[in-house]
Amino acid sequence: MSRIDKSGPTIQSLLAKTHQEKVADRDSNQNSDKNDSSTNGSEARLKGRPNSSPSDIKGGGDSAKVPAAPGPLDGIRVLDLTRVLAGPYCTQLLGDLGAEVIKIENPKGGDDTRAWGPPFAKNINASDPTSSTLQESAYFLGINRNKKSVTVNIRTKEGKKLVQDLAEKCDVLVENYVPGKLDEMGLGYKELSLLNPGLIYTSITGYGQTGPYRNRPGYDVMIEAEAGLMYITGEKGGTPVKVGVAVTDLTTGLYAHGAIMAALLARMKTGRGQHIDCSLLDSQVVTLANIASSYLIAGQEAKRWGTSHPSIVPYQVLPSKDSHIMIGAGNDGQFKILCTVLGLDHLPGDLAYRTNKDRVRNREALIAILSERLQTKTNSDWLAALEDQGIPFAPINNIAQTFEHPQVLARDMVQEIEHPTAGKIKVTGIPVRYSETKATIRVPPPLLGQHTDEVLKDMLGYDAQKIKALREQRAI
Amino acid sequence: MYSNQSRRCLSGLARLAAKTPSPLSPCEAATLSPALGRVLSHSHGRLATTATTTGTRAFSSYSGRFDQARETDVAESLFYSQRQSEPEPTTSTTTRPAQAPPAVEPGPLDGIRVLDLTRVLAGPYCTQLLGDLGAEVIKVENPEGGDDTRAWGPPFATNIDEESDDHESAYFLSVNRNKKSITVNIRSDAGRQLIYDLVRKVDVFVENYVPGKLESMGLGFKQLSAINPRLVYASITGYGQTGPYANRPGYDVMIEAEAGLMYITGEEHGPPVKVGVAVTDLTTGLYAHAAVLAALYARNRTGLGQHVDCSLLESQVATLANIGSSFLIAGKEAKRMGTGHPSIVPYQVLETRDSHIMIGAGNDNQFRSLCKVLQLDTLSENPLYRMNRDRVTNREALIQILTNRLKSENNAFWLQAMEGKGVPFAPINNIGQTFSHPQVLARDMVQEIEHPTVGKIKVTGTPVKYSHTKPSIRTPPPLLGQHTDHVLQDILQYDDTKIQSLKESRAI
Repeated sequence: MSRIDKSGPTIQSLLAKTHQEKVADRDSNQNSDKNDSSTNGSEARLKGRPNSSPSDIKGGGDSAKVPAAPGPLDGIRVLDLTRVLAGPYCTQLLGDLGAEVIKIENPKGGDDTRAWGPPFAKNINASDPTSSTLQESAYFLGINRNKKSVTVNIRTKEGKKLVQDLAEKCDVLVENYVPGKLDEMGLGYKELSLLNPGLIYTSITGYGQTGPYRNRPGYDVMIEAEAGLMYITGEKGGTPVKVGVAVTDLTTGLYAHGAIMAALLARMKTGRGQHIDCSLLDSQVVTLANIASSYLIAGQEAKRWGTSHPSIVPYQVLPSKDSHIMIGAGNDGQFKILCTVLGLDHLPGDLAYRTNKDRVRNREALIAILSERLQTKTNSDWLAALEDQGIPFAPINNIAQTFEHPQVLARDMVQEIEHPTAGKIKVTGIPVRYSETKATIRVPPPLLGQHTDEVLKDMLGYDAQKIKALREQRAI
Repeated sequence: MYSNQSRRCLSGLARLAAKTPSPLSPCEAATLSPALGRVLSHSHGRLATTATTTGTRAFSSYSGRFDQARETDVAESLFYSQRQSEPEPTTSTTTRPAQAPPAVEPGPLDGIRVLDLTRVLAGPYCTQLLGDLGAEVIKVENPEGGDDTRAWGPPFATNIDEESDDHESAYFLSVNRNKKSITVNIRSDAGRQLIYDLVRKVDVFVENYVPGKLESMGLGFKQLSAINPRLVYASITGYGQTGPYANRPGYDVMIEAEAGLMYITGEEHGPPVKVGVAVTDLTTGLYAHAAVLAALYARNRTGLGQHVDCSLLESQVATLANIGSSFLIAGKEAKRMGTGHPSIVPYQVLETRDSHIMIGAGNDNQFRSLCKVLQLDTLSENPLYRMNRDRVTNREALIQILTNRLKSENNAFWLQAMEGKGVPFAPINNIGQTFSHPQVLARDMVQEIEHPTVGKIKVTGTPVKYSHTKPSIRTPPPLLGQHTDHVLQDILQYDDTKIQSLKESRAI
């Protein structure tokens, strides 16, 4: 039904449009196919829908108000076949920017992360609020807002056809299967781009679609180990440690969502979608940044430094009486100020510590002196004393303290949304502010299959009988 | 390694940039054409049709047509000019000389021009991402030394001219390819005027000054969007443009400390550690480049640019992801786990005789396979360790048994033994090993480019592969002010007298 009328606008101009603009064109076309009528209705609703339900979202500040304009990706529809972290993070970023995201989940349990707890959110409706089968995990809730959930068994013939029908109605498809898997099922880039040449088909894998490791599954922590990040993270002289969050998954999600928007921009010129091939390994390698460059350009291997800096002293975490504090004296002036705050005024005059070069040379002795002094008072004493002195410092905040940070709150980085079974839940806000087309949190993370009927009826124009049959065939 | 063709092409480009009036041989002109096509399309997406459909791409006529097309273009098209996407020969600089240059179309941001007032890491990383995608990036640097990171070494790249004292730091070289450098003293009246002139010719402006600073110089969002309403103005700061911390300078490591990342990274009983690379800067750069793309996309609908406000603090908070969610939704605080996993055992780095290995047995089957490889078959039958739940309970004892066994052999032995056994594992590669990883090489993640003063240098490739509009590395990180004359002459059409007087007044 998205076949293009040869007598109408050129293929190029049509393909360059989003699915929504195509529908708007058809709306004004008298010859519009009868089958489209229900779809048109839904699209019209979609277009006219309020961009957020402000009553559901509380975060204070301007993001809680009705946005002036729809988000930058308003009108873009994303078919999301990803699970776990990198993929769902990518599609949530697109959703936050205004795209309509349709998450395809297997009918038996859906995205693995729905079960990844504890912690789970309490179910406010269940008579037994602790029954885990009725609870949503904090993991899933953190990365699946602004999405609709449709259950499809893509291994059935009918399920496959359903995904193909949806792909025809979407601008973007994102998947994170091992390379070749979706091709086998008739859902690869080649097949789907024939059905919808404007489709931007994005693959997120551990090692990419090519090369000797392509068929290996990807795990964040394995990539951290394999691609240098773990080697450079940890105490000097200690064992390597991983980053406290699956950062390789997250940078890959960030790369992927950027690539999708770049491809959307390119589509405006070329009229055509394309295949985008992202991987954890490639993303991790480039985010070695300057560390990579020191090796590639000067052959300098990296090492673990704890929190300290190879060429600036002091610039590291130091112990206080009850905790730790991060202090950085980036130049000699800042070192003098630090010594004044610490009541160690004689130190900057000492030849052993006067310049940064001296301090790097006598690192151990100096760190011992500073640590000894810092351990005489509590963290809060030192934080107060360092305030506004002109030297960089920071407490080592835990997660609770992070979310109580006055700037984090002032920037609306905690928002409250209403969830159908968990009630009010808190989620992180949107880190980038747009002065015009604002990113928003419009709908909570969906229940499994919450939107199956709606999407099949309104977007695909399936009738009740067909939907019932699909359900009986266990295709949805 | 360069093919001769691409080397010629680059030298041609260099001349083009320097506007040396040396006529090219027909052969060179032909080689140059794709690059020239790109130069011609540097119209913030407006004159491309004129440029590429004329067919003649002779170097001599380029400049005039460029000017004319720009002058006559007044309509603000909502979309990019529809451009024939004919396949063009490549000038890409891949390391693989054996590979015939594939037919390549311009990158997705071809025709977009970025004015880059950022320094150090987050901002330059953002604008390099845009450059890799095909945008023309004009980096504005202060005439006295430029971007701080030019001096951030050792390590420095060795100058091919042994007499020279000019060294480029590995740091600067890592985040500044695909950019032109112009020197401008933005604190001078003439310098500010020059920025205004450039703002009229660009699509995107990226800056990382403390909030209010540029505004006080007349270069804030309001001032510049009055000059160019289509301008996408992106600010990257430590704490954002608003709120009680807005005026503090931002440092990656302070944000790692302040926003939870350091607290959750390190050995379970050890002190917090930072991530081995300035990851908060990098995630912010990633957020910012995507935000610029989103705003460009929105501009096609609205016809207007906007102010995009990014910060290290918020990017870091957002990338707490599931860790953040466990706290926000269930009040669960996080802790340091070394490389261990709170609910899967074994899933961590373990010691071998000479090094370490990362092993993850995500389920009971994988644990059985692991035990077979380690010749500890009885272990998976032992009720203390049979199921993951048991293994979590008896974590310490199990890790001790596994470590004892693993320490009996070298890393190389175990890596070999684990291969193809269905247990996730990985060596802890250092940077050297990472860049000799067969998959890293197969994915072209190391590329070699030619730099004017340091010769051949290696840089990381582009991580996302596009089937059609491919990102590319087109030019090396620029020398300080390398393109000042080129940009002032060709983009702003300043004449020699004007440029001379700007130089004398130290505005450039």
